[in-house]
Parts: sequence; C-alpha cells; structure tokens
Amino acid sequence: MRRALLLLVLAIVPGIAPAQSSQFGIRGLGFPGRALSTHAIGSGGAFGLFDAESSVNPAALIGVSTVTAVFTGSQSFRHEENPAGTGSVRDTRFPHFMVVGPARQGRAALGLSYSNYTSRDFTIASTGTIDLRGVPVGVSDSLLARGGLNDLRVGGAVRLQGWTVGLGLHVISGSNRLVSRRVFADTVHYLSSRQQSELSYAGVGLSVGLMRQFGQNFGVAAIARSDGHLNKDRDSTRIGTVDLPFTLGLGMHWRPSSQLDLGGQAVVRTWSAANSDLLAQGGLGAENTFEVAAGAEFTPDPKRPFRRPLRLGAHYARLPFPLVADVQGHEFGVSAGSGLRFAQQRAGVDLALEHVWRSEGPYSERGFILSLGITVRP
Amino acid sequence: MRLGYLCLSLLLLLACQEKLTAPADCPTLCPGGEPQVFDEVINGIPGSDSSFSGYVQPSAAAALLSSNGLVNGEERGIVRFNRRGDSIGVRDTLRAYTIDSVALGFTIIARDTLLSGLQLLLYRLPSTIDSTSTYADLDPSFVPGNLIATIDVPDSVNTGPVQTMLRAADLARVAIPPSDSGRLSVGVRVAAPVPTGVRLGSLGTAGASAGFTTFVTADIPDTGTAKLRTIPLTPAFDSYVTQTPTVSDSTLLLVGGEPASRALIRFVLPPRIRDSATVVRATLELTPVAPIAGLPTDPVRLEARALLADLGAKSPVNSTAGRVPQDSVSAGTAGTVALEAVRLVELWLHSTRPTGLVLSLAQPSLEGASFSRPVFYSSRAADPTVRPRLRISYLLSFPFENP
Repeated sequence: MRRALLLLVLAIVPGIAPAQSSQFGIRGLGFPGRALSTHAIGSGGAFGLFDAESSVNPAALIGVSTVTAVFTGSQSFRHEENPAGTGSVRDTRFPHFMVVGPARQGRAALGLSYSNYTSRDFTIASTGTIDLRGVPVGVSDSLLARGGLNDLRVGGAVRLQGWTVGLGLHVISGSNRLVSRRVFADTVHYLSSRQQSELSYAGVGLSVGLMRQFGQNFGVAAIARSDGHLNKDRDSTRIGTVDLPFTLGLGMHWRPSSQLDLGGQAVVRTWSAANSDLLAQGGLGAENTFEVAAGAEFTPDPKRPFRRPLRLGAHYARLPFPLVADVQGHEFGVSAGSGLRFAQQRAGVDLALEHVWRSEGPYSERGFILSLGITVRP
Repeated sequence: MRLGYLCLSLLLLLACQEKLTAPADCPTLCPGGEPQVFDEVINGIPGSDSSFSGYVQPSAAAALLSSNGLVNGEERGIVRFNRRGDSIGVRDTLRAYTIDSVALGFTIIARDTLLSGLQLLLYRLPSTIDSTSTYADLDPSFVPGNLIATIDVPDSVNTGPVQTMLRAADLARVAIPPSDSGRLSVGVRVAAPVPTGVRLGSLGTAGASAGFTTFVTADIPDTGTAKLRTIPLTPAFDSYVTQTPTVSDSTLLLVGGEPASRALIRFVLPPRIRDSATVVRATLELTPVAPIAGLPTDPVRLEARALLADLGAKSPVNSTAGRVPQDSVSAGTAGTVALEAVRLVELWLHSTRPTGLVLSLAQPSLEGASFSRPVFYSSRAADPTVRPRLRISYLLSFPFENP
C-alpha cells in the first residue's frame, strides 16, 4: 500500500507546471526564493544553514553520508487583496533541486543545486474606460509574466580541524517573458493589442559558509555571500545592470534532549544595492531585508530519526521590492512538516505545510503553501 | 499515516491547475504602467493622390445598367446575342424549323425595392452594336417602332429572373433578317413613375446573363415530341451606354463610373508608428464633394487595397483576404465616408512597402457596374479638413523593462 501511495505521488508530480505568482513579486526582480528543502521548510527554515539538502550554506553539504538527490515541489493557495479587489490564486513550482555526495571518505562533500532566486510569475488584469476619438471605450488590460531568476550553485565543503568550511559558486540566470494585452469592448472597430518582450538576466555570485559543532548538542553556522551584479538584456540587447545583494547569515541549533532539536537563524541581505539601478530603470527601488526563523524538530524515536519526525517553525522576513514607495512589505509564516524514509533509507518523502501572511500597506495576501520533497539515495 | 499520504496525493491531484490572474491596482501595481493609446490623423501626401480611369469597361462590367435618368442621365443596357442558325440538328441531320415562340429573359441583380411600377422596355437594336457604340449612336433605335416588349417587373421580385414571351404576330418583332446573319440585338430601357434604375446580369455575372430562347418545331416526319426543340442563346456581347459619360477632374478623386476609375492615395507614416507601434484602429476618412448619388436600397461598396509597389496607375495591389477593407455607402451620403482599414495599415508596419492605397468600388461586383460615382476631395483641396486622411489609433512599445 505504501509503495502504491508513493507511486501515486510520484506520478502526480510531473504534471505540475513550474510557476509561482504573488503580487509581491510583480515589482523589481520578483519574489525572493528561500532555497530551502522541504525538510527545512517544515521547521520554518530555522535549520536552513545546517541543512545539507538546502542550498543556503555550502558548508552544510558535509552533512550527507551518501550520494543524495533532492527534489522539491510546492503548491500554493493564496487569497490576495489590493485596492483593485480581491482574488484567489493557486500555482505550482519546483523551487529546488539538488544532487550532493560525500568525498574523501566523508571529510568533504560536493554538490550541485538549482534553486529559485526570485519568482516573477504573475498575471494581473484590470478594466477601465478610456476616451478614444471622443467616445468612451471600455478596455481590459492584462500583464503576464513568466519566469524569474534561478541560482545554479556548485558547492563544496571540507572539514578542517573541527570547522566545516564551504564554498559555493553561483550562476544566477533567468528570464522574464512578458506579455501586455489590451482588449477593447468595441471589438467592431478596435483590434486587441498584444505586445511581448523577453528580459534575460545573467550574473555570478560567490558564497562562503562555516559550520562548527560544539559538543554533541550545540552548533553554529554562518554564511557570507556576494552575488555581484546582473546583466539585464531585453530581446538580446543590453539595457542595464542591477547590483545584487551581499548576504550575511548566522544560525544555531541546540539539542536539549535526544528527541528535540531547536534551531534559529537570521539572514540579512543588502538589497538596497539594487535600489539605484531599479530606480534608474523606472522601478520603485529596493530595500535591505532581514529574515529570522525559529523552529524545532521532534523525533519520537531517536534510534530511527527519520521515522515520522515532527517539525514546527515560524519565520519573519522583510520583502525587498516595494509595491508602494517608502513602504516595505513583510512576510510571516508558520509551518509544520514531517517525513518518511523507506527502502532501507534509500528514498524518502518530506512534507511541509506553511501558512503565510504577507502585507504592504493596502496590499496583502495570505495562503497555504504545501511542499513535497523527494529524496533519493541510489 | 497512510490516510494522510492519500489525502495529500488527492490534494496534489486536485491542485494540478494554476490560477494566476489577480486584480491589478494600476498603475501602482503595474510595471511599466498602463498601455497608452494614441490617436493621430495623417493627411495624404499633398498633391500625390490621383484618380486613374479605364480599369473596367462597361462591356466587361458585372452588370448592365439601365435607368431613366437616375443619376447620370439615362443608362441603357445593350445585348447582342450569339448567332442563331437557320436549321437545327436532329438525329444527326440538320433540319429546318418553324418558330413557335421566343423568350427574352434578364436577371435583376439590384433595383429600388421600395419602388412600384418598374418596367423594362426591350428595343430592337442594330445587330452591329459593339463596345464602341455610344448613347448617341443608339438613341435613334429606342423608338416605339423598335419596341419588342415590355416586362412588368413584379414588386415581389427584388432580384432574380424576369422574362417575356413572344408568340404569333409578336414574333415579327424579333425576326432576324438574313442580313443580320442570325444575330439579334436588344436594348433595355427602364420605365418607372420616378427616376430609378436597375442592374441586370451580364456576361460578367456567372449564370445571370441575358437569355434569348427560341422554341421551334423541327421539320421532321415525326409526330412525337422530337419535333419540339429549344434553341437557347446567350449574349455574345453586352454593355451599357450612358447619357452622361464620366468626366474626371484631376483635382478630385473619382471612384467608379464607366470606364471605372480608381483613386490612388499616398501617406507617410511617422517612424514611431511604422517601426514600433501596434495599430488598433485605422480609419480612412474621405469627404465627398457632393452627396453620393446612387440607387436607393442598393448601397455602393468602397474598398481599399494596399500597394505592393508604387507604379502609379498600374500599381500592383494586395488582395489578400482580410486585408481589403470594405464598407457600404448609402445613396445620399453627404458626410465624411469612413473606411475601417486597420488590417490594411498593418501591412505597412515594420516593412518597406509603399504606404499608399488604391480606392475603388468593390471588385468585381460593382466596379463599372454601379450607378454611384463617388467623388472625394483630394489633397489639393483648399480646406485641409476635407482632404483624405488616415486616423490611426495605436500603442507604442510597452515599457516592459521598467521593473
């Protein structure tokens, strides 16, 4: 029965289309991704800096004991509110994929990951009336964007006298396929218009991570990352650059008992580096962000830590790209998750459910994000 | 736990759809703002528009015109039928025959459907008529002594065939003397309580040309129906003559008439439109010099075709379906005539094609076959408000790059 259920889940996953939308991803470079595995999302991202299956800290790669492939898909159901009205949206995406494996008898690890840096999938629609040739004409406008930025990371980690040091090279690339449509209510005299463009981006970043375990029950991790700048092309013509942020993060975890692990982390990103570039390009700019997360993982059977652990967590984050000048959006989410390993721990499924609230002035949204992580250790 | 996985699987199954559309609070929430529609009037290039005549001769038109002074004086249809032999082949043998009756028929393509008492008067014409015959040449033949028959057109017949049968003594009116070599020529005149006209099918109208049918009894030793024969004849030539031939004025734009005229109008599209705009509406506006005369209830249709190359009167034009805007203009129209031409103007965008068009009556149904001869002001008009112009509504490139 269990295998049948697994097959069912695996059969469903390929049918999910890759996309995610949020009205908070319309401006700037889009809605920032978190590069977390489902495992880490379940505890609010609190263990993201320690999680070998996430792409936050290259030093965390050392945590794998065998070659591991991780695949994450998510489905969100949200309700959005803004001055133009309300809407219910749902979307799916594949935000994270990773292959990682140990090297040098476990003293080092190498990994390749592909994660979502920002998402810019949205469709917004509006209606109105304009005056054409002295006659009021109803119009319906829509702006559609598909795409975003992806972060391809090649990383490695090595143990050095109690410390674990990681290094990651990030290739940040992506595109926005944008379509603007205007349909006139007077279809007899007016043709609808459809204009499209493709913005493409490319940049390179570098990350350095550290991790250290103090005894059996306490550990700290830190990262520093520089993403350089993005080259921005429109239809193959260079139209500008956008500076990307520095990222600094610090995390810690504490295991007060064999069944309970507590964690927390804080990450700061200097998105204001992109402010002047975005303003020069007609946008509303960008602001620095920080993200804090706290969570716990409860393991009912310490001898079998992968059997139905219970993960709980919460996070709070500022959003980098304002919808309204001088107002910064924020996000708060609570999450819960669990997981299962089977086939002699060669395969596993992790689940996480988040409830998020996002708001910025009159703009708000709330919803659930269901994440499914599949882990294979061949 | 199994139940949980089952529920999750079903949830994912149901969730395999996306619904991404959200309400937009524009311009705040819309990167690049809202699309802006601009409206611009583009006048024709001064002095570069002209009318050219001679495209469709009356003898090649899709209809014969007959009127009793409707617009351009009087028009009269003329038909010369194919030769009727003096014998008929029956059972591989040519036989002499005796004429029992004759039918002369025409097909009405258009008439004033609100008019009662319409009559077609058929006159005997010289068998030598051809495309060089003029109204003045043939007018002496339209006399009572040459009247063959009168066809009373029922009020119920708006379009379709009408005919008259000649028998007995009336056959003498269509008797063909040996000097005519079996050819019968007929002229059609209209009679009605008020000035009106009728458009009749011609050789250019498939299956609707005039008909001359002779019903005969063959001279054969047989008492059966084999003796009864029919000799159907179609026109060898048909045309119409008009009392007031078209006179073109080089300072105006004439469309239609006989032979048909077409107007060539040239424009210059600004680069911002030609290179990067999305045109959502384009209207060709023309101001008639005088109210457009024509047959009531039979509106004339104007059409415009984009130039493929600008070679003046012989410019090849684009005839791609959907790219030839047409519109009807009712008789009596005095105000600006507007032709929605966005699909035509689209051909000019992002291309090096000449930005000119040829305006004509609808081809081939009306060109040379309409009572209407619209005359419009050209770019030479002293009043700039009556010159030919294109009113274009367009959007410039959307600023997608604005984040």
